[in-house]
Amino acid sequence: MKAGLVTITLISLIYTLLIFAVALFAHHRKEIGRSIIANPYVYSLTIAVYCTTWTFYGSVGRAATIGIDFLMIYLGPSLTAFSWFFLLRRIIQISKENNITSIADFISLRYGKSLWLGALVTLIAILGIMPYIALQIKAVSTTFYLISGLRNERIHIPQLDAELVLPIGLLLTMILSLFSVMFGARKLVSSERHEGLMAAVAFESLVKLLSMLTVGIFVTYYLFNGFTDIFSRFHKFDPELFSHLFTLGSTSNDLEYVPSFTMLFMSMSAIMLLPRQFHVMVIENSDERHITKAMWLFPAYMFLINLFVMPIALGGILTSGSSIGADFFVLSIPLDTGHDVIAIIAFLGGLSAAAGMVMVESVAISTMLLNHIFMPVIVRFTPQAWFPDLLINLKRLGIFMVIFLGYFYYRIVGESFMLVNMGMISFSAASQFLPAMLGGLYWRRGNKAGAITGILLGSIIWFYTLLIPSFIRSGWISAHLFKDGPFGIKLLKPTELFGMSGMDLWSHSLFWSMLFNISGYIICAIVIKQNERERDQLRKFMGAYESERGSRHAETKRLSKPVTITKFVNLMAKFIGEADAHQAIFNYIGDREIDASGNVSEFELPNLKRFTEKTLAGSVGAAAAGAIVDSFLSDMGSRMESVYDIFSTVRTSLDQSREALYVRLKASEIINRTLDLQIIMDDLLVLLLKEFKLDVAIIQICNADGTLVARSYQGSNRKPINQRHWFMESRPYYEMTLQDCRAHFVNDTKLAGTTVDFGLTIAEGIVSCAYIPILREGEPAIGVMSVFSKSFTGLFTEEFISLLASLTGQLAQAITIVREMEAKERERSEKEEAQLQHARVLRDMEIAQQIQISLLPDTAPQLSGIDLSGRCISAAHVGGDYYDFFQYDENSVDMLIADVSGHSVGAALIMSEVRTLLRAQVTSGLNVSTILHTLNNQLYEDLTRAELFITMFYAKYNSATGRLSFANAGHNHPIIRRTNEAACIDLDAEGLILGVKKSVVFEERVVELQKGDIVLFYTDGLNEATNPEGDMFGTFRICNMMGDVSHLPAIEIVDTFYNAVTEFIGSNTLQDDISIVVLKIL
Amino acid sequence: MLKRLRYKLLHHLQLPESWLIFFIMGIIMMNFPFMSIFNKPETIFGFPLLFLYFFLGWPFSIFVIYLFTLTVGNTDDKHQEPR
Repeated sequence: MKAGLVTITLISLIYTLLIFAVALFAHHRKEIGRSIIANPYVYSLTIAVYCTTWTFYGSVGRAATIGIDFLMIYLGPSLTAFSWFFLLRRIIQISKENNITSIADFISLRYGKSLWLGALVTLIAILGIMPYIALQIKAVSTTFYLISGLRNERIHIPQLDAELVLPIGLLLTMILSLFSVMFGARKLVSSERHEGLMAAVAFESLVKLLSMLTVGIFVTYYLFNGFTDIFSRFHKFDPELFSHLFTLGSTSNDLEYVPSFTMLFMSMSAIMLLPRQFHVMVIENSDERHITKAMWLFPAYMFLINLFVMPIALGGILTSGSSIGADFFVLSIPLDTGHDVIAIIAFLGGLSAAAGMVMVESVAISTMLLNHIFMPVIVRFTPQAWFPDLLINLKRLGIFMVIFLGYFYYRIVGESFMLVNMGMISFSAASQFLPAMLGGLYWRRGNKAGAITGILLGSIIWFYTLLIPSFIRSGWISAHLFKDGPFGIKLLKPTELFGMSGMDLWSHSLFWSMLFNISGYIICAIVIKQNERERDQLRKFMGAYESERGSRHAETKRLSKPVTITKFVNLMAKFIGEADAHQAIFNYIGDREIDASGNVSEFELPNLKRFTEKTLAGSVGAAAAGAIVDSFLSDMGSRMESVYDIFSTVRTSLDQSREALYVRLKASEIINRTLDLQIIMDDLLVLLLKEFKLDVAIIQICNADGTLVARSYQGSNRKPINQRHWFMESRPYYEMTLQDCRAHFVNDTKLAGTTVDFGLTIAEGIVSCAYIPILREGEPAIGVMSVFSKSFTGLFTEEFISLLASLTGQLAQAITIVREMEAKERERSEKEEAQLQHARVLRDMEIAQQIQISLLPDTAPQLSGIDLSGRCISAAHVGGDYYDFFQYDENSVDMLIADVSGHSVGAALIMSEVRTLLRAQVTSGLNVSTILHTLNNQLYEDLTRAELFITMFYAKYNSATGRLSFANAGHNHPIIRRTNEAACIDLDAEGLILGVKKSVVFEERVVELQKGDIVLFYTDGLNEATNPEGDMFGTFRICNMMGDVSHLPAIEIVDTFYNAVTEFIGSNTLQDDISIVVLKIL
Repeated sequence: MLKRLRYKLLHHLQLPESWLIFFIMGIIMMNFPFMSIFNKPETIFGFPLLFLYFFLGWPFSIFVIYLFTLTVGNTDDKHQEPR
């Protein structure tokens, strides 16, 4: 009984819709950010895309004809799974890092982004996968015919009495292509995961497993009574076949016989290298941690799906009587025993197995096709706005192409091979990538030439010994080649190459292809050197683990001409669309520093370039991306050029190289050796010139007024620095460096010409230069160190600049210390000088004081009838007070008291002049007013010039008459105290202060003194003496005191007054000189 | 006792080299000289010898990977915590 065409078509349709729904659901979940794909179970199920209709139908077919060795195809991957934790993880890490889109991308990236290698791998993958896709189409269309009851493509439609041709294979191809396009080529970015597709694949994996288990349990436990029942019945049925099926390589020398090792080896490599396996395991991997679970989940899956293969195979032979049509026992057993439901389940399982494989395979291959065959052509054209559309449609076209190629192979070869054997051709092709892949991951010497040679040789052998024979068998190519070899050369027979006979087709092909492949790879790798680009990539691949340990990729390239971010964005937009390009650059810039004009620093540019390449690689593959960016840059007139490696030895991660450490050490030695700045600066520059092959180095330090002055100049052809020196052209840089305290550099003076005129500098032969501020951390710059090179452009790397900056930091420290020491020294000597000066002045003052004191009379003249005494205390050391006595005879004496304004030495000098003038006059016996008048006349000029004044009271006493005649030049009025009177008498006379007017008339008065009278002459220091409360001593207090002390001798009265004043002012100091003269009439 | 055994086993499996040992063992056990031990048309309890060898050896190897991933997974978690 058959299920019928309509029923099975409907069921297939419904099932297809179901898968579609699953895919849509997963896509929706991803959109809202809750992916159902990102877990290890789904990941393991997607890897199970490995189990195709080959597994589902072919395994049983092989088990029923050849025997148990079909298991090798599954034991191999199971073994490989052991290595995943390291191998797969590493591949995934590298792929994520570089936005790898396919296995071709991966291999070409490792070997210097080689376009040729990528194209070669793609070509082999397409050719190699052709039989595999054909296998799927064959399986599904055959089973469709089986279950629907059709025998061929023609359907007789009774009503119309016509025949409808129903090409199931073609229809299936169409449907699968559409489905793959819908889920696999929705977006251009191929490094992005296809959640919908993966969900569909995982779902299909689940369906095929359940379906296989259902059929297995049905056959084993429903039709028979378990494993042992089938085994024992079969043993009875055909003991010879039994032992043949359950042993390896015992009997057959048939072409179909594949030694178990060949199968094991091919399957071990196929699980990693088949484009679809690489795609699901690497590109679609959402989290590295899923690998650990998949390592045992995937083998477990294979174990389960193969568990019932043997029973079904044996059961099939038992029920049908022979192994004819064993390839489809899974379907035919339920059909023949009349269990349609089981049959439909089996059919759906097979459909799932085929659909999953074809979809993933075609998407993976079309990505490769686009990136490695189409892109290298496209990048030769100028990018256009419609490029994104073109690219995505090319990718869709690629999917159709891949599936239809499979379909054509099926039409040509389809019927002549068993399912498994068709698959083996693909496995063998995939194995050709193994040497390049493993070598690429673990062998540093592996190079592009080796990879291309190896893969090319291996695949030629594969093509000749495996693909060609498959065509011959189908009769498409003349069998003549098969028998006699090309041109009748027997040695070149495709199946017995170089006369190697007695081997099966697969082992023979594998042996020769691997021999040529591996030896080609190794020989070229040893003989030919890697180019720079390859070495660059090698670091990325081999360094994948090192980067985890926090080491930093040291920049060795720079862009010869700066390119702005906008230009990169525009470039990206042309390939991946505007929105995606902006999103990408937005993510990239994130926390990076960019300056006001939106430019990144020169050191950042190579990173930006690499980022652009990586982003583009996600859509067009690494090789094409590299080509795109390179051609873009060359259009801009910019290119990547090697940075002169200042530290020639290998860098050790983040640490300084030995040279850098050496230079630092030397520099600190120089700085600590001496405190002489000139020596430090000269030695430091000499060190730089010597160690870094620089040509000129200059240190400029800011003066006190902020201008830069060259303090040290080392290097070739020294010239005196003046305004026309070439070195002055860099002035804008010096100022900029001083101002923003950052290092500036010109890596190619020829290119800097637009902003700063470097005419003379270039003429001098300078090709690159750098300006480093001399400053201590967090302080303003105190100078600029400039270095110039005549030999290397691009000399100044980030590391070099930071090394120079650290040296200037040390220098700044030294300069600061020396400056501080100098400042301290200066301060100390200034202080010493001041003290010395002060001491000198003090000494002069003391001398002046002594002289002044000596000018005052030592003792008062002794006259009968009077007691006379005077004394002066200066407030400052030398004062302007003066008093004197002149005695003519035993009866008359002159007394004067004067006060020169101010207390300077000037006052003292005037005072001595007054004394000299007076001494000259007094002998002439003039009267007092005349004396003052004359004195005023004489002193006027001097006083005016010195801006000084003198107050003076002059009195003449005659003891015989008792008359005191006196004149006053604005001086304090002397006070007379009489014994019997309570009040005091002021002695006043009209007169102007000396030195105010040229000619002054002084009034002369006379007073008669009586016995007991005390006359007190004083200067204003006495009455104006102030206590801390602000009260003045005052004339009232003087008068009272005179009453109290009238009984004392004159000298004691003077003393009493002094004591009183001292007591009165208390803690205050004397503001003015005090002079007191006391005349007591006895 | 069982706990200690388990601990010891897991501890030894932690070595990164252990996967290589299993890998090589697997290749040896699936190749010519070794395979010939089981490559005989005999049955045990009705099961062909080679069938039994594969279908018992395979799950055992899967179990070994499982144990290995268990220990590796554990250490992995530990490594990630301090990050």
